[in-house]
Amino acid sequence: MKTSAVASDNIGPLPSTTAEDKAATLECIQRAQRGDVDAFEVLYRENAGRVFALCIRLKGGDRSDATELMQDVFIKAWRRLETFRGDCAFSSWLHRLAVNTMLENARGDHRRSARVLSMEDTSLLPGAARSSGIDLRLEMEEAVASLPKGARMAFVLHDVEGYQHQEIAEQLSVSVGTVKAQLHRARRLLRERLGEEGRRKGEEGL
Amino acid sequence: MTHEVIRHLLDDYVTGDLSDEVRAPVADHVAVCAICSAEVESLQRILERAADLPKSIDPPAEAWSNIRSTILREEKAAESHTRSIARPFWQRPLVLGAAAAVVVAVLSSTVTALYLNSRSASALAQRTPGSAVESATPATLAQFTVEENNYLRQASALQDLLDQQEAALAPETVAQLKASLRTIDEAILEARNALARDPSNKLLVEMLSANYKQKVDLLRRSTEMTRGT
Repeated sequence: MKTSAVASDNIGPLPSTTAEDKAATLECIQRAQRGDVDAFEVLYRENAGRVFALCIRLKGGDRSDATELMQDVFIKAWRRLETFRGDCAFSSWLHRLAVNTMLENARGDHRRSARVLSMEDTSLLPGAARSSGIDLRLEMEEAVASLPKGARMAFVLHDVEGYQHQEIAEQLSVSVGTVKAQLHRARRLLRERLGEEGRRKGEEGL
Repeated sequence: MTHEVIRHLLDDYVTGDLSDEVRAPVADHVAVCAICSAEVESLQRILERAADLPKSIDPPAEAWSNIRSTILREEKAAESHTRSIARPFWQRPLVLGAAAAVVVAVLSSTVTALYLNSRSASALAQRTPGSAVESATPATLAQFTVEENNYLRQASALQDLLDQQEAALAPETVAQLKASLRTIDEAILEARNALARDPSNKLLVEMLSANYKQKVDLLRRSTEMTRGT
């Protein structure tokens, strides 16, 4: 499995943004690299939410599988901490590790029936109170979770996480053309499932 | 560019992935084509909804304790493994025990075999006086006496060194070492007694020489072990 050689540092906002926070994060990384588990816990607390959000989408909304994947990611991160040289943000490094781990696990997995996010499962979202905004997000989460795996991964990595076509192609070991085709398919399916297609056809008078 | 060609470029148009020279004619077409314009708006709404998804979702509370316990378990296992491979393989207690056991087994069987040999050799010597093959000549015995004294000096010096460094070895290693040395000493004593009864038996001389050599080798390896070399 190739990893991105041109990984961007802008895969979502970093948990720590000020220079002081970045220095604190760097210190935690260095302490963890020397075997300090408490320092690693700080890194976990800073990044777990974002990694879990990625895992749950890569896993098609299956919370149990996503939890297992996230745990695998952080255990691998601990084992490979020595290889982190600060060439990219720690969060980006974790994201790539999550995608790689997902792909490695998928190779040995038999496909299991995915449990699509329930409309009632508002615990997945920050601030559990339901509102029309949350309903829309849950509808979107459901639609993304229902996408075929290839289309879902391309959509999550590009349109949700902000990876570039080339980076996704390298991570998934496919061509840029395949990534674009999967993205096109994902967006078309989402438009269909979210009623966008009907709206478009209505506007077209079809 | 035709309408159909442009429709296939709308994904890249919306995400800003078209070069300027391609983007301009696509934009001109979208401005006048209701179908493409609607599709662009639809794609933009999908992208907006994707961007609106929460970037962070709280994982289950027990996830960290699972991760932590796995990490600590692996660290403990790695530490134990590191301790066991920190010494050369022949210095590890089990390996040393096995090596010592081999030495003991070889010596025991050697002693037995040589006892039998010494008797048959002695009987043969009695039956065929003057046999040069099985009898130790005065020159050989004199040479062995020098050799024996050398072995005794070496063994004594090494034993002193080992006694000083014994604390550096694992208790089970020390116990195994002492048991092996006791067995070798018993074999030396047996051979010496047999040689006293049959001073002309060359095989007994060779056996005794081999036993001394084994003892010195074992002592030397043990002292090297304490130095971690």
